[in-house]
Amino acid sequence: MTHSTDNSAGSTVGAPITAQQQATRQPLLRVDDLHVDFQTYGGVVQAVRGVSFEVAAGQTLAIVGESGCGKSVTVQSLMGLIPMPPGRIHKGTATLRGHDILASKFVGGQDIRGREISMIFQDPMTSLNPTMTIGRQIAETLEVHRGYSQSQAFNRAVELLEMSKIPEAAKRAKQYPFEFSVGMLQRAMIAMAIACEPAILVADEPTTALDVTIQAQILDLLGDLQQETGMAIILITHDLGVVARMADDVMVMYAGEVVERGSVDDIFYCSGHPYTQGLRLAMPSNKRAEDGGAEQTLLAIDGSPPDLFNPPTGCAYHPRCPHAMNVCAQQAPAQYGLGSTSASNQGLSHQAACWLHHELCAAQKDQP
Amino acid sequence: MLKYAAKRIVLGLITVWFIASATFFGMHAVPGDPLTGDKALTPKIRANLEAKYGLDKPLATQYWIYLGNIAQGDFGISYTQENRRVNDIIREHFPVSATLGILAIVFAGVGGVLWGALTALYRNRWPDVAIMFLVILGISVPSFVMAAISQWSLVNLNQTAGGTVLPIGGWGSVWHMVTPALVLGLSTMAYLTRLMRSSMLEVVNTDYVRTARAKGVPATQIFSRHQLRNAILPVITVLGPAIAGITTGGFVVEIVFAIPGLGRYFVQAIQQLDYTVIMGTTVFYGAFLVFMVILVDLIYGLIDPRVRVDQ
Repeated sequence: MTHSTDNSAGSTVGAPITAQQQATRQPLLRVDDLHVDFQTYGGVVQAVRGVSFEVAAGQTLAIVGESGCGKSVTVQSLMGLIPMPPGRIHKGTATLRGHDILASKFVGGQDIRGREISMIFQDPMTSLNPTMTIGRQIAETLEVHRGYSQSQAFNRAVELLEMSKIPEAAKRAKQYPFEFSVGMLQRAMIAMAIACEPAILVADEPTTALDVTIQAQILDLLGDLQQETGMAIILITHDLGVVARMADDVMVMYAGEVVERGSVDDIFYCSGHPYTQGLRLAMPSNKRAEDGGAEQTLLAIDGSPPDLFNPPTGCAYHPRCPHAMNVCAQQAPAQYGLGSTSASNQGLSHQAACWLHHELCAAQKDQP
Repeated sequence: MLKYAAKRIVLGLITVWFIASATFFGMHAVPGDPLTGDKALTPKIRANLEAKYGLDKPLATQYWIYLGNIAQGDFGISYTQENRRVNDIIREHFPVSATLGILAIVFAGVGGVLWGALTALYRNRWPDVAIMFLVILGISVPSFVMAAISQWSLVNLNQTAGGTVLPIGGWGSVWHMVTPALVLGLSTMAYLTRLMRSSMLEVVNTDYVRTARAKGVPATQIFSRHQLRNAILPVITVLGPAIAGITTGGFVVEIVFAIPGLGRYFVQAIQQLDYTVIMGTTVFYGAFLVFMVILVDLIYGLIDPRVRVDQ
């Protein structure tokens, strides 16, 4: 790879993706140029800085990145779950089937939360009300959105627990969260989330609090339910193993921005951004050990995550990037379209925000 | 649940026995006795009186006789008031104190929860600041000062209105109860408000409230089902001690407002070393408080399933 300078590069050169090219398919959820910040005593935290993505029905989009990169804030701001103030969505649009959902969570007089988009969280131990039975908490969603009677909703809640593969569902529904194990609680959370057959299920690090065997079961359950209901899943995680297993499309975030996106194969086999490559190298793998190669040690990404009070100029990753050039510190790179490995071309088109894909740079790449 | 309640009641009885014994020996450790007074008694009369009341017997014997009587529900006859049985004193005057106390507790509990929730919802805005100012006032100003201030205000109010809007003291109608109950409950209400506020602020930011919002539950329902019920738990925990505070604080308020409650007898009896009345009122109040604390514990179990003890 080259380390040469590229001062002459302007934003118009190269092959940035235009908005027209993106609008080729009709997505279920479409987010454009979302900016979220938090006013704090220490200053303004720019948590999300111009995130755009779309989700199609039945697809799984994984949002990947290290802690504090804005993954959760992105989806929580769409759900109206960030406290405002101090939070603020100061720019951007989000549409669900063409309806704007940023200004109001109500479409056609009904709250879309729980009905169109529902969510499961990282820590099921604290995400359920300790003084309400599991069944009642699931039933509550149905009462609110479907107008079910209490008993009707409770019966349905038992069925949903069965769908989530909880044994003795009728008895379990009458129990309180403290009588459940963590894995069972996450199943109950999933049952609650799918109660109104939402179009999109947002799973915010659903397996982080679980041990490995339970993780696998929960991921299987999510996969099965997606097959049955055809819902889209937005999966937030920092576990690339989970991504490889679940995702159709992947969006890699760094410092509140999308640095790379594409199909899961694109991201794993021809990642175009140094950060994505860094993440891949930092992932433990048994393959490399079998090969007996020199790459047995895990490679950590040098440096520490950026300060979002004062994000780096240009490309936010440049202070840690092994390929950084002068231009990286000065100007933010555009999204460059890259070749795709997926034959069907169904998912997100493969793009990376990195100067290395600028045509001047790409031309030098072949000359070591 | 039944087994748990029974266990608590047995423990409660032991507590009451302990209170009775401590009071008995403490009381006898104080120099003098009910027969020591302004009137000088000849040794002969004194000996006769001592024999009549059983005061000439050894302390241990007196103690066992006393315990036996209490176990039968007989608190004996007052030493200083002619022919007044302690049981009658309690029967006549306790309902007055209890009515006042319960009213004050209801006022403090309901007020504390509502004001606390309100301040949390309006955190750092003017309703919060205004209420918290009053709360600090309510905690710092002692009840006898509040009682005097409220009476003075009532006098002015009645004068400007040209009639009796609210009575200044005494006992009889519901109107007589309002002001003393407010004064009596005020500091407890202030304390509960503060507790409720902090507990509510904690609950507002919990994950399960976020889950409820992600489910699309309307804000009013989130407040009533998810926030209030969880935030109220610490308030219920301190309700037992709060009842103790209110009943003991009641003595002062009863005297300022000229209310014929049990408190006056309690204080008088200690001053006059009226053994039977001291024992009667103390043991009775002690038993009452123990009962209230048990009741609060059982109610707590109804609200928080985690401390429920059935199965």
